[in-house]
Amino acid sequence: MADEFDFQTGESGASSTYPMQCSALRKNGFVVLKGRPCKIVEMSTSKTGKHGHAKVNLVGIDIFTNKKYEDMCPSTHNMDVPAIKRSEYQLVNINDGYMCLMDEHGEIREDLPVPNNDIGKDIEAKFEASEDFMVTVLSAMGEECAVGLKAMASK
Amino acid sequence: MMAAVGAPEVITQLESAAKVLMAPPSMVSTEQRQHAEHIFLSFRKSKSPFAICKHILETSKVDYVLFQAATAIMEAVVREWILLEKTSIESLRTFLLTYVLQRPNLQKYVREQILLAVAVIVKRGSLDKSINCKSIFHEVGQLISSGNPTVQTLACSILTALLSEFSSSSKTSSIGLSMEFHGSCKRLFQEEDLRQIFVLTMEVLQEFSRRENLNAQMSSVFQRYLALANQVLSWNFLPPNHILSFSKSAQNVTLKPTESWREALLDTRVMDLFFTVHRKIREDSDMAQDSLQCLAQLASMHGPIFPDESAQVSYLAHLVEGLLSMINGIEIEDSEAVGIANIISNLITMFPRSILTALPSDLFTSFINCLTLLTCSFGRSAALEEVLDKDDMVYMEAYDKLLESWLTLVQDEEHFPRGCFVQPAVQVFNSYIQCHLAAPDGTRNLSVSGIATHDEEEINELQEDDRELFSDQLSSVGMLGRVAADHLLTFRTQQQLMASSDPGSVDRKVLDDLYEDIHWLILVSGYLLADDPQGETPLIPSEVMEFSIKHSTEVDINTTLQILGSPGEKASSIPGCNRTDSVIRLLSAVLRTSEVESRATRASLTQLLSPQMGKDIVWFLRRWAKTYLLMDEKLYEQISIPLSTAFGPDTEGAQWIVGYLLEKVINNLSVWSSEPDLANDTVELLVTLVEKRERANIVVQCENWWNLAKQFASRSPPLHLLSRSVQRTLMKALVLGGFAHMDLDAKQQYWAEVLHPLQQRFLNLINQENFAQISQEEAVKQEIVATLEALCGIAEATQIDNVASLFSFLMDFLSSCIGLMEVYSNTPETINLIIEVFVEVAHKQICYLGETKSMKLYEACLTLLQVYSKNNLGRKRSDATAEEDQYQDLLLIMELLTNLLSKEFIDFSDTDEVFRGQEQGTPASSRTVSAADVVLYGVNIVLPLMSQDLLKFPSLCNQYYKLITFICEIFPEKIPQLPEDLFKSLMFSLELGMTSMSSEISQLCLEALSPLAEQCAKNQEKDTPLFIATRHFLKLVFDMLVLQKHNTEMTVAAGEALYTLVCLHQAEYSELVESLLSSQRDAVIYQRLADAFNKLTASSTPPAMDRKQKVAFLKSLEEFVANVGGLLCVK
Repeated sequence: MADEFDFQTGESGASSTYPMQCSALRKNGFVVLKGRPCKIVEMSTSKTGKHGHAKVNLVGIDIFTNKKYEDMCPSTHNMDVPAIKRSEYQLVNINDGYMCLMDEHGEIREDLPVPNNDIGKDIEAKFEASEDFMVTVLSAMGEECAVGLKAMASK
Repeated sequence: MMAAVGAPEVITQLESAAKVLMAPPSMVSTEQRQHAEHIFLSFRKSKSPFAICKHILETSKVDYVLFQAATAIMEAVVREWILLEKTSIESLRTFLLTYVLQRPNLQKYVREQILLAVAVIVKRGSLDKSINCKSIFHEVGQLISSGNPTVQTLACSILTALLSEFSSSSKTSSIGLSMEFHGSCKRLFQEEDLRQIFVLTMEVLQEFSRRENLNAQMSSVFQRYLALANQVLSWNFLPPNHILSFSKSAQNVTLKPTESWREALLDTRVMDLFFTVHRKIREDSDMAQDSLQCLAQLASMHGPIFPDESAQVSYLAHLVEGLLSMINGIEIEDSEAVGIANIISNLITMFPRSILTALPSDLFTSFINCLTLLTCSFGRSAALEEVLDKDDMVYMEAYDKLLESWLTLVQDEEHFPRGCFVQPAVQVFNSYIQCHLAAPDGTRNLSVSGIATHDEEEINELQEDDRELFSDQLSSVGMLGRVAADHLLTFRTQQQLMASSDPGSVDRKVLDDLYEDIHWLILVSGYLLADDPQGETPLIPSEVMEFSIKHSTEVDINTTLQILGSPGEKASSIPGCNRTDSVIRLLSAVLRTSEVESRATRASLTQLLSPQMGKDIVWFLRRWAKTYLLMDEKLYEQISIPLSTAFGPDTEGAQWIVGYLLEKVINNLSVWSSEPDLANDTVELLVTLVEKRERANIVVQCENWWNLAKQFASRSPPLHLLSRSVQRTLMKALVLGGFAHMDLDAKQQYWAEVLHPLQQRFLNLINQENFAQISQEEAVKQEIVATLEALCGIAEATQIDNVASLFSFLMDFLSSCIGLMEVYSNTPETINLIIEVFVEVAHKQICYLGETKSMKLYEACLTLLQVYSKNNLGRKRSDATAEEDQYQDLLLIMELLTNLLSKEFIDFSDTDEVFRGQEQGTPASSRTVSAADVVLYGVNIVLPLMSQDLLKFPSLCNQYYKLITFICEIFPEKIPQLPEDLFKSLMFSLELGMTSMSSEISQLCLEALSPLAEQCAKNQEKDTPLFIATRHFLKLVFDMLVLQKHNTEMTVAAGEALYTLVCLHQAEYSELVESLLSSQRDAVIYQRLADAFNKLTASSTPPAMDRKQKVAFLKSLEEFVANVGGLLCVK
């Protein structure tokens, strides 16, 4: 647990991406497109001419910014796949636009801003209403962002 | 309202309303438009509008108002028929006809509408003996003989209107009368009036065909009568004692006239006239279509019209002569191809074989020769069309038709003189090959100018593979190839030639041409050598078997085996290669191609190879192996020695080839992991090798097989690069292989290699103390996913004789999988995969499981559902643009529940027969969980999540309704016990499904109602929620059956539901009937309806839920719908 305060990577030792043969990628899986971690929303194969080799066409959405990226490559090539980590925290407080989050061991972190989108609005609204809920945080390639929330599972 | 106003006012009102309707959308408001529409609607409903309509027709200048007046007359005549004086009807008809005659410049749509009114009057009157409408034909005859083109056109319009009214098809206007009325009208009409129309038409055509020059106006009249003739010949004759059904106008109606048509149609002059007409107008593509269609109809003629066989023979002979002399003298136009193919296809399909063979033999021979030439020539033109990428592939369509006809002929070969199709088959087969090979052997890619064209277009994955796209063509050609089996020889040589070419450092274009040649050769060879029967044991086609037997005396078996066993050498370099079995040589040619491919991959030339060709090769080998490899000699009357020596049971050849195929599979899987389709075809070949015990026995003796198993279990490259679905199927194959015959040690060792590592790795992983922390690491996730995929593959390998051991193995995993649900609750992909494992196990195994085993599975499923539900509490699916696949988990859960329920329908278990000896008979009374518990628990989870929005996704919607219908049918007693809001939403779902979904779903919901109503009846408790709900459904079903136009397919389902509901709620039913009756103002209609309702329940009073009464009710319901359905269903 020595890396607990290392907020830069959030991950110890594990590489942030790993290679995968293009043909083994899957829709709804993840891939690095133009240097950004993306969720694959469309994937199709095509070939040039009847006897050509397969090519893979990928459309991905940046998991943090929701921007769309496209790419095409021969299916034999390797693509980078981001290592994605999801964690859940209980929201304790919101301070200056930053969330105060507590993990399952009771550790607190305050380095993540409330995202500037619908999820963020949801978080603020629920917080104002004093509801108890968990925030899902996605981390990949050294970036982190809150991407969802859910009511506390009754224990 | 209308009646109170004077005529001029009415006209002014209608004309201004017409102006509003005709105005551009921007000029008038929606309200104005609706108001105008309302004016016309109520005008058409006004009582006895005849005088005012006449007045309008005579004075108004607004076409649309004239049109509405004609419509009003038509509707009112039908409505008030019985109240009208017969003479006034007659005078009305005369008025309308005269009106049209006197106004040649009427707008076409007005004229047609008035003539339609005339036709409806004639039809309505045809059953009323008191009124004579026959005179119309006399009048039309006079019009035709006038010689005035305008008048003749009018006459043609009248006849066309009559024809479509009397055809009683979907084109016919609805006049609120019973099917029986429509049917008898049609029958009367086809016996006399239709023939009269035909005679009139023939006279006109005769007249025109004699004329030298036709001006434009004349030729347009000619064309109309030709179309009319086509309509008559395409008449769907209603045989006596057949009930008419308003089915959608069937396409291709064949000509089956009644006896009374003999004189009119057996006259050879009729047929001659159509040949003459076609010759005259064949350059006009529109008219040629009609004249050829007339001939095609004549070629389809059959039934009681022929007094005896000899009449049929001479009719056919005359037809064939006419056809030959028509084709032989001309160069066929593009627009004629399909028509001519239709004539030939019809006569080959419709005339009995005995009639075809009774033709004079030289006539038959020239017909076959002509057909051969035509087929080859259409084939070439079709290939050209493909090169030019034309939108309208007329030759392709014509070619398909002719190949189909060949197939029909060849399948009945035994009726024809021996060998008469061999030469033609050789020619057609050759030309097919030629069209698909590149120069110099063939003509592919040669455009009209003879220059090879080549384009590199992007091909996406949605495009079907040629082997499916052209499967019909290929099967026909394959059949022909078998007839011409002798021809295999030269064909094989070509292939050999191809295979020996070295794909070294050649130009890609040249290579692609070569690959395309090989592609087609392999496809044709595959279809030639074997069929692909779905679900049956594939047999070696008898033609191929006989051929091989016939030549076996000239064959040297040792050389044959040598050729087979040396795919690396040129076949021609082996001495005596000509004295070998041709069937085996064809296989060996493909093996040689395959060998060239494998060597190229070993020489790192994979980039130069064609994945398409790779696919073709494994496809062929799979098709071949299914049929030939280790053939079961008991299935054949006689067997070819070369074939049984080479691939029969206990032969070295079979062993060698199994080894070779296995090596091929392994090589492909490592080289082609990036080509999903090719990898998939490859792994399917592997499944074929092991799914039959006999083949699997040999497979497991190969060292390679064990290596493959070890390699896969170690999850190392290259196998782990394969796509997930391929890995899953590979696992399936490995498991199937494990049930082959091995000695005990070997078997234990095998499972130790295949399954135990899977279990071991999995247990090691999840039992690690810090599993919860490392579970999100990518390597761990991948390991888990791979395990889950493998579990699905294992479940897929279930067969009745291995279910016992596989079930036990999988059960151990299922509980650990449930644990994973918690760990990966944030990773939907993994969750889905876990549920999928359960779905597969239930799907493949539940039908074999006895009571105790099923219960174990139910328990596991229940726990899964509990965890799923806990994890989903409060989960928000926030994505507004959510797509169907984001609800995959819901779909899978529903699938799981449906699979569990299917046990109630399909159950092969014999009280744990397959598990006998394995368990110490747990007493059944300790039963803790039932299927009902699991399913209802699952429904509790699913129902609240299925919103109306989700039902818009077809797959979710179908699965959902399938599930709830199953539940209502199987566990109706559980429905009343549902919590209130669940019960309500279930009922609402049923209503929604009945009223606003596809007819398929509506039918499902109707089927769910009967068991529910029966359940209520059993309980005899009134005022329960279910009782009240069924009362509501009674009204829904009643309205659906009685008041709305519904799909006739649904009558039975709706009828059954209605009957049980009526039994349950007799008082409410009577109320419904009463209120319907009291809303009828017309006394006649009231009486008809009241009678019909009485009759409907007469056989089942008081209604009781027994089968006999229900059947009686359904029968009366059919009559009820036929009798008064048209009355109540207002159109």
